[in-house]
Amino acid sequence: MTPALERRVREQRARVLVRSWDYRQRHHARGVWFRLRRVLAEASAAFVVAPEDAAALVAEGCRADPVGEALEPRKLIVFAAAERVARIGSARAVPLRLGRDVLEARHLVLTPFDPAP
Amino acid sequence: MVVGSEVPNLLEPGAAATLVVSQDLDVGVPVSCHAAVKGRLVEMLVAFTPSPEEPSVWTPRSPGLLEVNFVGIDPSRDPTDAYVFDDDQLPLLVFGALSLVTAGAEIEIGGTRVRVPRRAGLILEKLVTDRTGEKGERDLLVALGLLMTAGPADLEEVDAAYSRMRPELRHAVRSNLTVLSLLEPRLGMPDPRPWRATVAAALRRLERLDGDAA
Repeated sequence: MTPALERRVREQRARVLVRSWDYRQRHHARGVWFRLRRVLAEASAAFVVAPEDAAALVAEGCRADPVGEALEPRKLIVFAAAERVARIGSARAVPLRLGRDVLEARHLVLTPFDPAP
Repeated sequence: MVVGSEVPNLLEPGAAATLVVSQDLDVGVPVSCHAAVKGRLVEMLVAFTPSPEEPSVWTPRSPGLLEVNFVGIDPSRDPTDAYVFDDDQLPLLVFGALSLVTAGAEIEIGGTRVRVPRRAGLILEKLVTDRTGEKGERDLLVALGLLMTAGPADLEEVDAAYSRMRPELRHAVRSNLTVLSLLEPRLGMPDPRPWRATVAAALRRLERLDGDAA
């Protein structure tokens, strides 16, 4: 066996071991990244908003996703319709990825995709 | 059988090849066919030469061609397994995830007949394979390229194969779909942003199948 192939097999097996560990931890702290990505995957856009605006959305009955409570510091992640978000003066659109804007946000509003026609 | 990033291109109508700019050409060789393939390599690949460091990789003698990377397919292996099918002339790195791939249509391009895999199996292979960094992102965007051109029958086939996978692998598929949904555009690959709703729909569809979104 060539050293290159031997190395690639070793690397592949190591990745599988790490993934198995990830899977076993999915209901614990490690799993929060999957749950956060899962929530973001349902969003067509993301906005950072002021705390009072996020609280107002919750008071109006908008759904807060529990994954925000699993993060430290905690985030309030709320789904709201795009038309409602358009009326929030503090709303600042941020890229939908696990980047600095989303990770630093304490109050994040996500807009759902339009239902399929 | 071609199993890598060229497949979305080949499955486009007329093999239009507008989706992915490939860096190499992956050819999947069932280990049961190894001897037959090896016997014809020198005769067929006159424009290529095996890499001394990794003889499963054949490099082109001229700059206009892609490198050919031979990988092994062993349907008897678990999708998480990997081993080397050792051989002096054509050793193969056998990826267990390729056991999800089954042979599909044979298409003709410029007088050459090319076997392509069925879309569903390759979608799941790309989503269950755990690679990191650029290679990992490219794999996920290849899966996207396949989803973009998938029809209802392909998705039903995905559902059926997904349902047969064990929970850990199903979770890996869903996890990689969430990664795919947040990827940035990459030069020479399908732009994931306009397809995020499709990816979300695929996630919901798979979650309904196992009734466990955890």
